[in-house]
Amino acid sequence: MFNTIGNAVFFIGDCTLFVGEVIRLGIKEKPSLHEIAEQTWRVSMQSLSTTALAGFFVGAIMTVQFTMQIQQFGALGYLGGLSTSGTIREIGPLLIAFMLSGKVGAFTSAELGTMKVTEQLDAIRCLGSSPIREIILPRYIAIILSSFFLLAIGLLMSIGGGLLLGMFFSGINHEEYLRHIPTIVAWPSILIGLFKCLVFSIILASICTYRGYTTTGGAKGVGLAVVNTAVATMIGIVIADWLTSYICEALQSYFLGV
Amino acid sequence: MIKFENLVKKFGDRTILKGISFEVEKGDILFILGTSGTGKSVLLKNIVGLLTPTSGNIWIDGEEVSQYTEEQYLPIRKKCGMVFQHPALFDSLSIFENVAFGLRRHYKLNEDEITKRVKECLSLVNLNDIESKLPQEISYGMQKRVSLARTVAVGPQVLLFDEPTTGLDPVTTNVVNHLILDLSRKLNTTSVVVSHDMHCALEIADKILVLDKGQIVEQGTPEEIRNSQVELVVGFMQEVENHV
Repeated sequence: MFNTIGNAVFFIGDCTLFVGEVIRLGIKEKPSLHEIAEQTWRVSMQSLSTTALAGFFVGAIMTVQFTMQIQQFGALGYLGGLSTSGTIREIGPLLIAFMLSGKVGAFTSAELGTMKVTEQLDAIRCLGSSPIREIILPRYIAIILSSFFLLAIGLLMSIGGGLLLGMFFSGINHEEYLRHIPTIVAWPSILIGLFKCLVFSIILASICTYRGYTTTGGAKGVGLAVVNTAVATMIGIVIADWLTSYICEALQSYFLGV
Repeated sequence: MIKFENLVKKFGDRTILKGISFEVEKGDILFILGTSGTGKSVLLKNIVGLLTPTSGNIWIDGEEVSQYTEEQYLPIRKKCGMVFQHPALFDSLSIFENVAFGLRRHYKLNEDEITKRVKECLSLVNLNDIESKLPQEISYGMQKRVSLARTVAVGPQVLLFDEPTTGLDPVTTNVVNHLILDLSRKLNTTSVVVSHDMHCALEIADKILVLDKGQIVEQGTPEEIRNSQVELVVGFMQEVENHV
């Protein structure tokens, strides 16, 4: 028990120092824009289809759930607004984070871990550069940028999925479904969604690059790094979701009195 | 050119190098031999700053570098090129970009100069017309030679080889061993080679150092090593005789 807590504290501390070094280098030496663009494209394309598919079905699920709850009150006209608001504020960012964690997080830690155990990262140091600047920084920034792009795609698809189910399952027409989206999905909801997306993507980028960069012990070590990345990002994202919800609610009630 | 003085390296409670002292003269080829896990690669990584010694001193070209930071080490790494046990080529880059990698970071050259230098270095290791290929499209032996070309491209004064022939067939092993000798003579570099291969060491080394459990148990010229009475060295020599 104490050992597990000790390991977790060490992990958080060491990971924070690592991220500090990534940020320090990012400020000191501007990363290559070409490399960032290439990595962002790769990360986005890697997860685009699964995110779009998952987004579509999340919208569909939300619509079915809300239909069952609100039709007894005769408020089906609010279906589109409610399910879209829920997706933007909560499910969307969480879904994107989980999708990226499964695909990009595991891929990045495996890629970096393999580079570490095959001495490619040491070779970069020996050739007069820094692996953090050359390899880590572009991937770190790319994961964060891709998260926002994928969030947008996921949300569009969820509206599509919700609309389709609204028409075929709930029996409302598309105009009715879309009418209340602008009135219910207010700016605070969008800002909360974006804030959560940012926090989750930072957690994911930090954990997967740190785990990959600190891999030791050959193929087994790479496997362990991938498993640890998956577990740590899931736990980190769930805890961050609770924390950000709490903070956002507090801020919303303080500034808007809602 | 390189001098170690009472160097100690610990990982936690484990002491890997226990007070190592030796010197390599400019232009010499030093072979470091020993069984697996005796700290040979750790010793090499201390020279190039990939590991920091726990105590002791390292001089490279008259400069004490043992406690240098990563930034202070950059000019030292231009002087000391390392060829790793694995080829350590960058998977996503072509052979050309792999060899040009260090050139782009260490020098301000235009594309024509870089292309010329890359071709020169690849032909030094007897490889031609493979610039556009990816590392996974060439054999392991060729990857090792590209790795050597990439290191040589920066123009180091010291070449460090970490088990350069591990995993190679006997023919390619012979090719790589002679490349080490040729490059050292042609480029007038100092070479430090970590190896298990006593046969090759006797053939091309100017000096041989034998490590056992983190300590130097024998050092000398190939002739002195042949006549050594140290048990580990005798074992290595018997292996050479069986091989012949």
